[in-house]
Amino acid sequence: MGTATGIIRALNSGIKHLAVKRFTLRYPEQKLKFVGDGYQFDPTTGVGIAGYKGRHLLFHDKCTGCQLCAIACEGVAEAIGMVKVPEDWKHNKKAIMPQIDYGKCVFCGLCVDACPFYALYMTNDYELSSFSKEALIYTPAQLQVKPEVQQDAEIIIDDRGAYHG
Amino acid sequence: MSVPLPPGLQLEKFEEDDKIMTLNVGPQHPGSGHMRLIIRVDGDYIVSCDPDPGYVHRGEEKMAEYRNYILNIPHLERPVIHDSCNILYPYVLGVEELLGLEVPERAKYVRVIAAELNRLSYTLYWLAIYGIFLGHSTMFMWPVGDRELAIDLLDKLTGARVTHSYFVPGGIRNDFPANFEDVCIRQVNYLKKRLKTYGDIFYDNPILISRTEDTGILSREDAIRLGTTGSVLRASGVDFDVRTKEPYDAYEELDIHTNVLKKGDSYDRSKVPWLDMLESCNIIKQALEKMPKSGSVRVKLKPNPKGGDDEVYKRVESGRGSLGVYIVSRSKPEPYRLKLSVGSFRNLICLPYLLKGEKLGNMPAVYWGLNYWPVEADR
Repeated sequence: MGTATGIIRALNSGIKHLAVKRFTLRYPEQKLKFVGDGYQFDPTTGVGIAGYKGRHLLFHDKCTGCQLCAIACEGVAEAIGMVKVPEDWKHNKKAIMPQIDYGKCVFCGLCVDACPFYALYMTNDYELSSFSKEALIYTPAQLQVKPEVQQDAEIIIDDRGAYHG
Repeated sequence: MSVPLPPGLQLEKFEEDDKIMTLNVGPQHPGSGHMRLIIRVDGDYIVSCDPDPGYVHRGEEKMAEYRNYILNIPHLERPVIHDSCNILYPYVLGVEELLGLEVPERAKYVRVIAAELNRLSYTLYWLAIYGIFLGHSTMFMWPVGDRELAIDLLDKLTGARVTHSYFVPGGIRNDFPANFEDVCIRQVNYLKKRLKTYGDIFYDNPILISRTEDTGILSREDAIRLGTTGSVLRASGVDFDVRTKEPYDAYEELDIHTNVLKKGDSYDRSKVPWLDMLESCNIIKQALEKMPKSGSVRVKLKPNPKGGDDEVYKRVESGRGSLGVYIVSRSKPEPYRLKLSVGSFRNLICLPYLLKGEKLGNMPAVYWGLNYWPVEADR
């Protein structure tokens, strides 16, 4: 193939691309939709349920304060610390629950795998930025709140190319 | 500057009556990654090149000695976050042999799919950097955009865009989400279509060819002698791919074509990963067809599993070549010693030979053609 033909083909390929829809996800307006409500784990079967690994969700009525999540995190990120909670649960005699420092968390989800009581799940919430390091430390009360997320952009593929919509 | 710098830190040095000059490329230069190339030039021609890696050494191997086999997973994938499934693969295979685990059939196929998607996402990222350092900014935009297709699939499957922590000894963390097969086939087909358009704009582009052809020729004999691996080895005409020569997991049952090019110049080295990506798309489609439609994906493990007094070496084909993990177990929950043998470091060895006599302007084409990832080489 000659040099001129090659250059024309390369230019042509670029010009054709002008008709292709833009693939960019316009982030603050559009947010990517994830599968399910976040990563979960079923200790009876020992297999997880697919989902995004975002901020955790703690169920206070299930957490027994066994510290298995904190032990799992010790070798990974040391993000989980057990703190006293003012609540009084029959199954949680020590009244301690995990507090997660998102400045350290790597979102591997091994703490979810470690929990044998279905008490710790992950959610689709990934917008955790804050102005101070202290605000990144989520107390058990904050982890209890189910996040409200507006995520609906999906990759759509048609004859004009792929785009987020 | 009044105080002379120590010899290693000197930025420029003249010798032999100003004829030969020493240049430091890196460690902060974006064109070298986190590593330094000490290049001596005579005018525009490179007299010698001394690669100096080690700026991003993280002590992964030592860290592995203090964590049990499960907790090693998140940190062992850090050296190559874009290819995290492939860097975990040999470790997981090795631990399975140490603990005597039998992996469910479905998990083997899901692992292959995850590993191939990871190879796609890594190689597209590499291609983007290769493109931008040759001054072809379209080749930066397109792969980075199309990489989103692979990342989106991995995100749906594993729950994270990079650093998936998806493979565990005994299988995988979670099964396919609902409707994943259809989405996967649709996006992989589209990605393959997109990859083919790279031929016109990049690989058949006379400007790229004149830039990279006949630069840094690595002969077949040298490629074997220097111990290179992966795309560098295959570009020099050696038919070697761990996926076909020593098949692991479900690769045994899949029909894989190894792409081999003859010349061994920088152009061939840049083309082999592209051909491999097209092959990866085929592998994903084959694996989706052949995989068992249901079944268990993970063997239940005891907490803190222990291996016997044993040692094991496993290797897989990563995006940068063969990637081996050697684990020594001494009947403890932690490995006694873990050694990562990575493709990047092996390929770096041939850089001084390739750059000798080249023009300085060809340095990025040769350097990035080696498919080198500094963090992985330093571990």
